[in-house]
Amino acid sequence: MSLLSIHDLVAEFDSPSGIARAVDGVSFDAQPGEIFGIVGESGCGKSATCRAILRLFGGAPARIAGGRILLDGVGDLAALHERQLAQVRGRDVAFIFQDPLTALNPTMKIGRQITEVIRRHQTITRAKARAAALQLLRDVHVTSPERRLDSYPHELSGGLRQRVVIAMALALRPRLIIADEPTTALDVTVQDQILRLLKERRDRLGTSIILITHDLGVVSQICDRMAVMYAGRVVETGPVREVLDSPSHPYTQALLAALPGQVGREQALTPIEGAPPSLISPPPGCRFAPRCKLAQPDCVIGPPPPLHARDGVSSGHVDACILNEVAYGPA
Amino acid sequence: MAQLDFQRVERRFPVKRGLLDMVARRDRVYLHAVRGVDLRVSPGDILGIVGESGCGKSTLARIGVGLQQSDGGQVIFDGRPLAGPDPAGRLQMVFQDPYSSLNPRITIGAQLEEVVAHYFPKLPRAKRAARVSEILAEVSLDPETALKFPHALSGGQRQRVSIARALCPAPEILVADEPVSALDASVQAQIINLLKRLNREKGLTIIFISHDMNVVCYLCDRVAVMYLGEIVELQNSQDLFGDPRHPYTRALIAAVPDVRRAQSLAEPITGEIPDPFAVPRGCRFATRCPLAETACQNPQEMLPLGGAGGVRCWKAVPSD
Repeated sequence: MSLLSIHDLVAEFDSPSGIARAVDGVSFDAQPGEIFGIVGESGCGKSATCRAILRLFGGAPARIAGGRILLDGVGDLAALHERQLAQVRGRDVAFIFQDPLTALNPTMKIGRQITEVIRRHQTITRAKARAAALQLLRDVHVTSPERRLDSYPHELSGGLRQRVVIAMALALRPRLIIADEPTTALDVTVQDQILRLLKERRDRLGTSIILITHDLGVVSQICDRMAVMYAGRVVETGPVREVLDSPSHPYTQALLAALPGQVGREQALTPIEGAPPSLISPPPGCRFAPRCKLAQPDCVIGPPPPLHARDGVSSGHVDACILNEVAYGPA
Repeated sequence: MAQLDFQRVERRFPVKRGLLDMVARRDRVYLHAVRGVDLRVSPGDILGIVGESGCGKSTLARIGVGLQQSDGGQVIFDGRPLAGPDPAGRLQMVFQDPYSSLNPRITIGAQLEEVVAHYFPKLPRAKRAARVSEILAEVSLDPETALKFPHALSGGQRQRVSIARALCPAPEILVADEPVSALDASVQAQIINLLKRLNREKGLTIIFISHDMNVVCYLCDRVAVMYLGEIVELQNSQDLFGDPRHPYTRALIAAVPDVRRAQSLAEPITGEIPDPFAVPRGCRFATRCPLAETACQNPQEMLPLGGAGGVRCWKAVPSD
């Protein structure tokens, strides 16, 4: 039984030049105790997908325009009223934003911010909430936690702030954490610490994590399964080692080939020429076809190709390239 | 070709004092951004400067092109102390954010012609446009790009325009401060290829500031690692990544996630960069270093390694 399963999710944003489908028919699921990575470049819809789960559009003119978001034991989040969804946020599903400084209230002490989360969902005394907050800070390895409870966010370093944000996300013991580029603003040694912290949480309490990142290295380090997104659609998904070690979609292959460290110093890197398509009027057929070195005439006809299995469904490694369909036969 | 030579360069910034500090006659507090940096940039080199945020790498870059003055030591350029930006434009800089470093209200062509006109006032107006087309071609942009405004370009194209602008005065040394950090990986590769080509084909010397170890490893010939304002290790790229000596360099390399590995390499180093106002005595990395012991509280000198390199750690393993 999946903890979260998303079917054909569509999310639209209004823009001056028309309606942009930032998320266009995305499906994936997250199992209990799993770390699921979503990767892609800027504008591919990875953040929009995850914000749509909790409808956290931050005031942007956006809406869910189709699909289902099934959370185990709760039902379809897309069909919930705002007030019901507010109960789900924090309690069942928590969100960690990229920038810990904007996720925290600058005028409020750390302790008060954490206890507020707890007291919003539970009826407990102030003292008990403070004790719980202290324990949460200990759990995320904040040094001298008693002192930090009375600190303001600006008094903490970037890594400590992100730990506090994680502590707040863990406050109600959610079953699922959605982390949107949680380490992108951090230095690499601190990133390593935060990734280990998330993994430790999963190992100890079985919390599922959906991790959004642009860094394939991060996915490789902590995720179990992953999805690669391009122009609002998932183009490849499967177990992390399979996708990264033998990518089957030309976009995933190109993304990996563009990274330094894959070729010798005297060889040139292989960038992906061109730019992603407009999400307001995307081209027909495969959205990567205009930039794809392997593109055939068939690639630019009809609706975007769906995900299909490559070599037996067992591993769950599937991609949306029609050339693979020809090579391996339809699923 | 002119050489750039940092000699014991220091830079500190005074911290704003409140009225209370003045009444209490507290001493002025300074943030030491760069401490005693010795660094020689050889012509034709791609020198990488890596380190985490706040280590002083950007300040050092700005001092290197004369945008900021050093408080101690000096920068020797072409045999003379550098007192400000080079009037002939032989030292140029490319910034991280290609969105804010271009004027949004002027066409690309006009922006570049302005720079050409400044450095080559004798070039007839009619020939400026041709020169701009040549420079755009050098960074693999169409001549039509000159007619466009910055908003009509992608991030990668904009960064190429920034590089084109830096190339206008035909510089000898290009200082690039995190030029690919704001770009997606597929676009990063274009800019890295471009810098490498400019270096190989035109002999352009490049100082490449970055926090991305993978990019530095691929692009740079020599690498300096900075921590809290000091260079802690300097080696040629292959040696630094193949056999890092300083415990900080080792930790930095080990912490970089790799798409080919499921785990990061070593046990993580604990803690974060200390408060720059309360830096440890002696070795500045000692508070986080797994090898630290009492003797690390003594000031650390740069110990020579082969090939003009060095490491600022008395415990750094000697080469066999």
